[in-house]
Amino acid sequence: MSNLLKKPAVRWGALVVLVALAVVLPLMLPEVANDTIARICVFAVAVLGLNVVMGYGGQVSLGQIFFLGLGSYVTAYGATNDWNIVLTFLAALVLPAIAGLVIALAAARLGGLAIAMVTIALPIVGLPLARRLDHWTGGSQGLSSRFSDAPEWTGLYHDQWQLYIVLVIAVVTFVLVRNFVRGKFGRALAIVKENEAVASSMGISPYWYKVLSFTIASMVGGISGFMYMSVVQYTSPETLAFHHSITLLAAMVVGGSATLAGSVIGGVYFVFVPVLTNAINPNLTAMLQGAILLLVLFLLPGGLASLPRRIAGLRRSSGSRPGAPPREEAATRAVQKAASKQPTRKADQ
Amino acid sequence: MKMTPTRRGVTSVIALSAAVLLAATGCARDGGGGRGGETSPGITDDSITLGITTPLSGPTAGPGTCTVAGLEAYMGAVNEAGGIEFGDGKTRTVEIKALDDAYDPQKASSNYQTLKNEAFAITSGLGTPTNLAWREAATADEVPQVFVMTGDPIFSQQSESPWSLGWVPAYPNEGAAFGEMLAKSSEDHKVAILFQNDDFGEGYVEGFKEAIKGSENIEVVGELSYEATDASVDAQLTELAATDADILFNAMSITPLVISSLERAQSIGWEPSWFLPSNTSSPTAILEPGGADAYPGVYSVAFSKAPASPKFADDEDVKTFLSDLKTYADYPEVPAFPHCMWSYMLGATLEEVFKDMQEPTRENFMEAVRSIEDFKAPLMLDGTSVNTTVDGEPAVSSVVVQKYNGKGFDTVEGIE
Repeated sequence: MSNLLKKPAVRWGALVVLVALAVVLPLMLPEVANDTIARICVFAVAVLGLNVVMGYGGQVSLGQIFFLGLGSYVTAYGATNDWNIVLTFLAALVLPAIAGLVIALAAARLGGLAIAMVTIALPIVGLPLARRLDHWTGGSQGLSSRFSDAPEWTGLYHDQWQLYIVLVIAVVTFVLVRNFVRGKFGRALAIVKENEAVASSMGISPYWYKVLSFTIASMVGGISGFMYMSVVQYTSPETLAFHHSITLLAAMVVGGSATLAGSVIGGVYFVFVPVLTNAINPNLTAMLQGAILLLVLFLLPGGLASLPRRIAGLRRSSGSRPGAPPREEAATRAVQKAASKQPTRKADQ
Repeated sequence: MKMTPTRRGVTSVIALSAAVLLAATGCARDGGGGRGGETSPGITDDSITLGITTPLSGPTAGPGTCTVAGLEAYMGAVNEAGGIEFGDGKTRTVEIKALDDAYDPQKASSNYQTLKNEAFAITSGLGTPTNLAWREAATADEVPQVFVMTGDPIFSQQSESPWSLGWVPAYPNEGAAFGEMLAKSSEDHKVAILFQNDDFGEGYVEGFKEAIKGSENIEVVGELSYEATDASVDAQLTELAATDADILFNAMSITPLVISSLERAQSIGWEPSWFLPSNTSSPTAILEPGGADAYPGVYSVAFSKAPASPKFADDEDVKTFLSDLKTYADYPEVPAFPHCMWSYMLGATLEEVFKDMQEPTRENFMEAVRSIEDFKAPLMLDGTSVNTTVDGEPAVSSVVVQKYNGKGFDTVEGIE
């Protein structure tokens, strides 16, 4: 299977099929499905941002929802004041990035849990601020704007148009983040995550890499805020309530930390689980969601993205069961196991 | 990118598959219905489905659960009796599809997407941001968003929200009811105002000031605000106490803050009469622990009978309500939140609307919704009624002022 995927022809073929699906599916699917997929894109990108700082960077951030909220407010403000849409998008991306940079410059000096505490403060401060700055934010009533409705000339339904918008943004963001975490910066970031002393001895400044990963996470959060506004078309102080940050974190862990596929699965988890639990019993949603979270964490501590590896591992171990494994082999496996805990790039593919 | 050699192939494959599938499926979408076709979804010849999106988990789950339970109780009894005979002569039973939004606007708008194709109308949901999240979409899709439980007046303005209508009195309605009573008083009153610095607090003050405008006997001697996130309003109370006002108009929605301010004012020796909003004047949860007995009067407003009050223990409406709640909504205890009563009354009002409906369409439903005049739903207090014909007002805009008697509330005519 993995060999097959390595052949360029197969890869290109798969890509073509995926692109064709992305183009065609929105036209075929019912409105509810399009809407759900669009929401998954929104939160997949939000989880991706969180993954940059937490999964890849190893810094605990509990404030990701703040950047999503900031992005959505900037978008809503731009849209209601008839800014150019491209300008609005750039603002929704740059302003959260600047906010993230400023916060990280101070917070990254603090080690370990201190940075987590600083990030907790973000949504806690953000919510009353959003209520209070009602000139920009519309106060507790929030802002709504139908700026992402399909233009006449497209002949599309609104949900189809919105899905195309968020699909394009999501794909581009994922590709850029993929290039980032697999490139020079990503390798350096992995060393910072693993051992700051080693990083310093190699000439990599842990401080600057933490700032960099936090800033990028904030920017990606801002992008997801723009997407949020494109799909939901409404934002209010509730959007950046602290508990959403925790749900995002859970989504990241369930999906699989430090993996791109995990971010997508995280988005699916964030959006689909409430829908699913509502379908089972609307009075028990909180309990069912907790049960699903526990179940995944017990069965797959590495998140759902680790499922294929886990299955492969099970198959391998059941294959070698007849006859006790020779000592050396067991030792090698232990080493491999230890190595697999390192954030090797291989694991992401 | 290294796409060049295969780009042409890729493009042609995409173009081809897109064109084929477009041709094959493009039409299916139009014929699917549910996008403004002639037949409205969620209604058949023998049943109608109502949708609800409301918080059933999280901090607002208590009142949220009530918004479903009351309606289920009323409609359960109606279905048991065979259903409702609609204006078009067909008898239908009423199904309810409730979804949890956890007070999250994003989930509410997602639930709306589900409900709009399954339910005939969406109703009863609690929460301002959660209802605002899909108000514009409902307007665009022409889906009824009726009798929603929020005090935001925007839902009742027809030019803004042609497909929406609020159920409970808007914040200014409550403030105005108290203001009118004061204005009628034969004595002079000095009023101190303390309000929450958001649309909730401002709404109360706006209604109150409108009602006392031009009244010679009322003087506002102090007006201070606080933030909903503040941990204490002691400073504001001390400053207002210095005005020596005999009335404190306190537009506050945070339960612990109300209790602590009731305690604080006594401890600094200031004992005015109080006005409190309907949702922060619970006798057992707020007034008793706050020691409200110490004040000459604590006033609030209401429009429904309180089942917990001894005064209504033998009331026929209350008895039927409690037994329906137990039988059809699996809600055995006496509800702690008024939302259970409100959604029960809402059920009775919907029954009236259905009886008026001549055609099974959403358009006709909205016409019927806006034509209810002076309907007295079960559990309604004397002096209040459902009236949907006034643009800008929610379905229930009349409230009566009540005074705390140490256990519950009594309706009063004037300030004592």
